[in-house]
Amino acid sequence: MAMLDDNVMQEVKKALQNMKEPVTLELFSQSFECGYCKETHQLLDELSAANPLLQMKLHQFENDAEAVKQFGIDKIPAIAVVGKKDYGIRFYGIPAGYEFSSLLSAILLVSTGITKLSADTKKFLDNLQKPIHLQTFVTPTCPYCPPAVMLAHQMAFYSDKVTADMVEISEFPHLAQKYSVQGVPRTTINEKWYVEGAVPEEVLVSKIKEAL
Amino acid sequence: MFEFKLNMADTADAGVLYDLIIIGGGPAGLTAGLYAARYKLNTLMIEKALVPGGQLVATQWVENYPGFPEPVLGEKLAKDMEAQAKFYGLKVVQEDVLSVNLEGETKEINTAYNTWKARTVIIATGSSPRRLGIPGEQEYSGRGVSYCATCDGPFYPDKVVTVVGGGNSAFEEALFIAKYARKIHIVHRSNRYNADPILQERVAAEPKIELMPYHVVESIEFGGQQRYVKLKNVLSGLESSLDTDGIFIFIGTVPNTKLFEKQIELENGYVKSYADNSSSVEGVWVAGDVQAKTLRQVATAVGDGANAAHAVHKYLLHRR
Repeated sequence: MAMLDDNVMQEVKKALQNMKEPVTLELFSQSFECGYCKETHQLLDELSAANPLLQMKLHQFENDAEAVKQFGIDKIPAIAVVGKKDYGIRFYGIPAGYEFSSLLSAILLVSTGITKLSADTKKFLDNLQKPIHLQTFVTPTCPYCPPAVMLAHQMAFYSDKVTADMVEISEFPHLAQKYSVQGVPRTTINEKWYVEGAVPEEVLVSKIKEAL
Repeated sequence: MFEFKLNMADTADAGVLYDLIIIGGGPAGLTAGLYAARYKLNTLMIEKALVPGGQLVATQWVENYPGFPEPVLGEKLAKDMEAQAKFYGLKVVQEDVLSVNLEGETKEINTAYNTWKARTVIIATGSSPRRLGIPGEQEYSGRGVSYCATCDGPFYPDKVVTVVGGGNSAFEEALFIAKYARKIHIVHRSNRYNADPILQERVAAEPKIELMPYHVVESIEFGGQQRYVKLKNVLSGLESSLDTDGIFIFIGTVPNTKLFEKQIELENGYVKSYADNSSSVEGVWVAGDVQAKTLRQVATAVGDGANAAHAVHKYLLHRR
């Protein structure tokens, strides 16, 4: 049975009409000990049929060490959304529920190059000296989560210094433990710092400044 | 088992003067948008969230909106309202409004990205969850303190949870959390509950939920190994502690009026409304939870939205 029903598929096709450049969804999966690898694989299979500019490339996490290293993958299922280059945009866990919008937005971001970041944010990112790793923790049922993910992904797209992960926390309970996450969205900045909620751009920027 | 929800923001032209800008995309704003679009007004909605519907999307089931004999998911109702309004031409941009200038012929709405201009404005900014204002609440927000059961309920499988409040939200959300948690205490300051009797019956029938009337939460103590809240019995004055893994707070809402408070007449913090949902400022209308009124429901919000859009339509007809 299809994961994306006809209505959703039509919406997807309509949204992806705006694609300009080809996008590859690099999927890291394995056949054992992975919560939603199979489902994520099927989702990307169906999704990549929605537009000729979109394709999926499957990597076996357990034996494609080179790709695992190249994309810096440490848990599965994982998706790297890659265009002309790898911008550091990652999804860990299945992008289901409301996070499906985050995946579509990331595809369009990479494909069209259109970000919504303000001039101030861009200026700040232009002058970044140190690498920034953003991890946005979400649940699929959280309607406030996608904007937090999308903001982080836009920063990753704009700056080579920034990488940004969506992390579907119910699939990685050890990370919930490690970062004591009990509410979503939450974005950690380089491990130590974090912001709670879907905050406006300038709030995230000021937190990143604190973390530097 | 999986659902896939697509919500994509529109893009719009910030260079034009809109007939109407609606601030807020809950049921009131979406209904105003539907009506305005059908009146062929050049209408823009500015909504800070990506998913439309305001507080409706944090609600699991809606059972008292007419036309749905089976309970309807809040998010589904919101999405359908949006789809209907967009079908007739409503544009929705996802931006956070930072400031407004409501005076004069041309109203200005400033976001981080644009200055939007319109001849009329409908304020439909709704309300936000009220905070308890007790020690630990801010500190542990997102780390055990929550205001959204659909967001954070899944963090409590087989856990013990405290819910604060005695209204519909507290009871509905406690029933939702009961799908995950092993035990739920509903703490309320009296033994009079405002929740609809039908919800009270359901809570009474749920063995996981225990009512704790005549108690208030004094502080949230989530720093140590054993998490607990300090309670006070309002009758006896006795203090006690209640072990809990998380606390959900549903004690009503506060109107989102901060953007307007210096420019518009308020009544008990809500935007004062006059005939046809007009406000104290010419060219500005109000609809939904942010409006001073007695009943805040989806059913009343949609009526406000329709009224306000109709009034805008009439106003603009005489001024073209």
